[in-house]
Amino acid sequence: MIADKMTAMLRRPMRAWAAGAGTLLFATLCATLSIPAAGQGERSLERGVKAAFLYKFAGYVEWPAGALPAADAPIVIAVAQEAALADELERIVPGRRIDNHPIVVRRLREGDSLAGIQILFIGAGDRGRTASLVRAAQPHPLLVVTEIDNGLALGSGINFVLHEGRVRFEASPEAVERSGLKLSSRLLSVASNARMGTAQ
Amino acid sequence: MRSESGMRIEKALKAGFRITAAAVFALCAAQMALAASPPALPVPATENLAELSLEQLGDILVTTVSKREERLLAANAAIFVISAEDIRRSGATTLPEVLRLAPNLDVARADTNTYAISSRGFNTLTANNLLVLIDGRSVYSILFSGVFWEAQQVMLEDVERIEVISGPSTTLWGANAVNGVINVITRSARDTQGLLLAGGGGGRESGGAVRYGGEAAGAHYRVYGRYQDMNNATRQDGPQIRDGAHTVQTGFRADWGALQNGVTVQGDYYQSMIDQVPLARDTSGMNLLARWQHELDNGSRLRLQSYFDRAERDLPTQYHDRIDTWDVELQHALAPRGAHTFIWGGGNRLSRDAFTAGPALSFNPAGRTLRLSNIFAQDSIALPDNFEVTLGAKIEHNSYTGAEFMPNARLTWRPSNGVTMWTALSRALRTPSRLDRDYSTVTLVGNPNYESEVTRVVEAGFRSQATPAFSYTVTVFRNLHDRLRSFEPGTLHLVFDNKIEGTSSGAGIWGNYQAARNWRLTGGAAWQHLSLERKPGSMDPGFGITSAGNDPSHWASLRSLWDITSQHEFDFTVRHVGARPNPAVPAYTAVDMRLGWRISRALEMSLTLRNASEAEHTEWGVATNRAIFERNAFVKLVWRP
Repeated sequence: MIADKMTAMLRRPMRAWAAGAGTLLFATLCATLSIPAAGQGERSLERGVKAAFLYKFAGYVEWPAGALPAADAPIVIAVAQEAALADELERIVPGRRIDNHPIVVRRLREGDSLAGIQILFIGAGDRGRTASLVRAAQPHPLLVVTEIDNGLALGSGINFVLHEGRVRFEASPEAVERSGLKLSSRLLSVASNARMGTAQ
Repeated sequence: MRSESGMRIEKALKAGFRITAAAVFALCAAQMALAASPPALPVPATENLAELSLEQLGDILVTTVSKREERLLAANAAIFVISAEDIRRSGATTLPEVLRLAPNLDVARADTNTYAISSRGFNTLTANNLLVLIDGRSVYSILFSGVFWEAQQVMLEDVERIEVISGPSTTLWGANAVNGVINVITRSARDTQGLLLAGGGGGRESGGAVRYGGEAAGAHYRVYGRYQDMNNATRQDGPQIRDGAHTVQTGFRADWGALQNGVTVQGDYYQSMIDQVPLARDTSGMNLLARWQHELDNGSRLRLQSYFDRAERDLPTQYHDRIDTWDVELQHALAPRGAHTFIWGGGNRLSRDAFTAGPALSFNPAGRTLRLSNIFAQDSIALPDNFEVTLGAKIEHNSYTGAEFMPNARLTWRPSNGVTMWTALSRALRTPSRLDRDYSTVTLVGNPNYESEVTRVVEAGFRSQATPAFSYTVTVFRNLHDRLRSFEPGTLHLVFDNKIEGTSSGAGIWGNYQAARNWRLTGGAAWQHLSLERKPGSMDPGFGITSAGNDPSHWASLRSLWDITSQHEFDFTVRHVGARPNPAVPAYTAVDMRLGWRISRALEMSLTLRNASEAEHTEWGVATNRAIFERNAFVKLVWRP
C-alpha cells in the first residue's frame, strides 16, 4: 500500500513533466511551420541602404588622374559575391550622375578583370575569397568596399558594419591612399571609426 | 504532511504547466497570425534612399535583430539581455532600477537604497543565490554571499549591455550562481570617446555625471565621475524614513588593441553616506582589474583576468567590515575541432575580511582568509540533425567545505534558423558564507559544520524568431533543494543547520515585437511556486521556511517604445508584481512613462514619470513601517558635444 502511494507520487510529477514536454513539442511545431520567411524584408532593406551608400561614396572619392579618362566617363561600381545588391544599385543609378559622370553597375564574376572599375564592392561570403579579391584589387586605382568582420584588416578601404541594427561604415584613409585615391574629410567624419582630430 | 506537500507540489506544477501551455498556445496562434500578415516593416523604395545624406542613411534601422541578438537567439539558456538602448529609454538612474527591465528578475525596493533581487524565488534582502558580476568582477559579499546593492553603482551611459541568466550557471561561474547570473558589461573605451555630461533632478533624487574619453599611449581611455543624492523615503504610516543617501564614484578604463586581442585595465572608487537610525552608514570601495585577451594562430582564444577589490562598510554602533579580494582566472576556448568545441579554465580567489564587532553582532573569528580555487571544462558536441550536447563540470575548492563538484548536461536542438530548444540537468551549490559558519549574536549563531546547500535543476526552454518582427522565449524549470538553511534550537540560542528541503518550479516567458518601424513592444511574465519543508530531525520553529524568501507567485510587464518623430520618443512600462506572503505585501501595478526629446545631435532631454498610475505603492517589508514609493518626476539632460 505504501509502495502504491510512493509509485503514485512518483508518477504524478512525471505526468506534469510530460505535459511540459508536450507543450514544448507543440511550440516547436508551430515555430517550424512559420519560420522560413524570417528576415527577408529586412535583408533587402539592409542591401538597399548599402547600395545607396555605395552610390553616395562615389561623390566623396578623388580618383587619380587617368582613372576617369573623360569628364563624362562613367563611374563603374562592380559588385562581387552579392548579386542582390547589384539589383538594388541598378534601381538607384538610372538618370543619376556624380560630377557629370553617369554610374554603371557591373556584376563581377570569377576571373573577370578589375580594369576600368572605380568602386568594387565585395559581399560578405567566404573570408578567404574576400581576402584574395582585396589583394587582387590593390594595384588598381579603385575603392574597395567590404562587409565583413575586420574588413579593414584585410586591406579594404571602407567596411560596412552593423551597429545596433543600423548600417555604419569604417574607413581606412591609409589603405585608400595606397591605391592612389583620396577620401574626402566629409566622408571620414561620418565613418564610425573617425577619430577626433584626424577627421577634420 | 509529506503527501500533503506532495499534493501541493503536484497541484502547483499542473497549474504552472497549464498556464505555460495556454501561453505557448496563445503565442503560437499569434505567431501564425503574424506569419500570415504582410511584413511588419515597410521597406522604403531603394530609389529614394539615394536622396538621403550619409548620416541619415546611417540612422536607418535595417534590422530588428542585431548580430548579438542573432547569437542570443542561438543561446541555449534562459538569458535576457538589457541593451544600452533599453537602459537609456528606461529613465532609470541606478543599477537595481535598470534590472527591473529583465522579465526573469524579481526586483523589490525596500527603501531608498536597499533592494531584494532574485530570480526563480528565494528573494530576500540578503538573497544569496544570484551571482552578480561587473565587467567580470564578482561583487557578492563573502559575509552572506549576497550583494549590497547600494554599493554597486555604475555609469549607466557607459554600459553596453546587461546579461541576465536565470537558472544554474555554476559550471562556468561557480558556486552561488544557483538561481542565476547578472553580468554587467561596460563599453570598450574605444566606444566611449569624447565628452559626455549628464545631469538630472526630480522629486526623489538628483545627480550628475561627466565622462571624457580620448587616446593616449596607444590606448583608448575614459575617465568618469558621478554623484547622486537620494532623498528620504516616506513611511507608510506617515513619517519620513531616514534613508537619504549621497554617493560619489569615479573610475577609468583603458583598452589597448581589439576586443578579442587586447588588454583592458579599469578601476573604480566609490564612497557613499547613507542615512539611517541612529547614525549614517558609510560604504566605500575600490577595485582595479586587468584583462588580457589573445587569439592564437590556431584559432583558440585565451583570456587572463586578475583583479583586486576592496569593500568597506561602516555602521556606527553596529559593525565595521573591510573585505579585500584578490582574484585571478584563466579561460581557454579552443577552436572548434571536428564536432567538438572545448573550453576550460581555472581560477583562484583570496578574500580576507576584517570584521570589527559592535555590541549586538559579531563574527567568530572576527577576521578570516577564505580561498576559492576552481577548475572547469566544458565540451559542446555537435550531433547530426542540428542537435548539440554540452557536458561540463566544475570542481571548486573552498576553505569551508573543501572540494565541491558541479556538473551540467545540456541538450540543444536548433531545428531551423532562429529556433533553439534546450533542456538541461545541473547540480548547483551554494557554499557556506561567513554568516552560515561564523555568525554570532545573542539569539542566533553560525554553525561550524554548515554544509553547502544543494540544488538539482531540470530546465527546458524554447526560443524563436517567429517572424522578422517577433521573437520570444519560453522557459520552465523544476528545482530539488536539499540542505537549505534551518534554525535549530540549541542550548542558549538558535543555530544554523542544513535541515530544510523542498522543491521549486516555475516558468518564464518574454518576447519582443517590432509592431512598426518606429514602435516596439516588449513584455514578459514569470510564475513560480516554492514548497519547502523541514527534514526529519529538524526542530526549526519555522524560521527556516519563512526566511528563505518572500516571493510573489507571478509578475509581468509590458513595455512600449515609440519614436513619435526622429527627435521625439514616448515610452511607457506597465509592470505588475503579485502579492508577497510573509510579511504580506499587496500586489501592485505601476506605470512608468518617459518622454524623450533629441534637441540636437548632441543634446538630449527626457522627462520620466514614475508610478504614474497610482499615488503610491509598497514593495517590501512589514505593514505601516515600510517605505512607500510615490508618483514622482525626473528630468534629465545629456550632452555629447
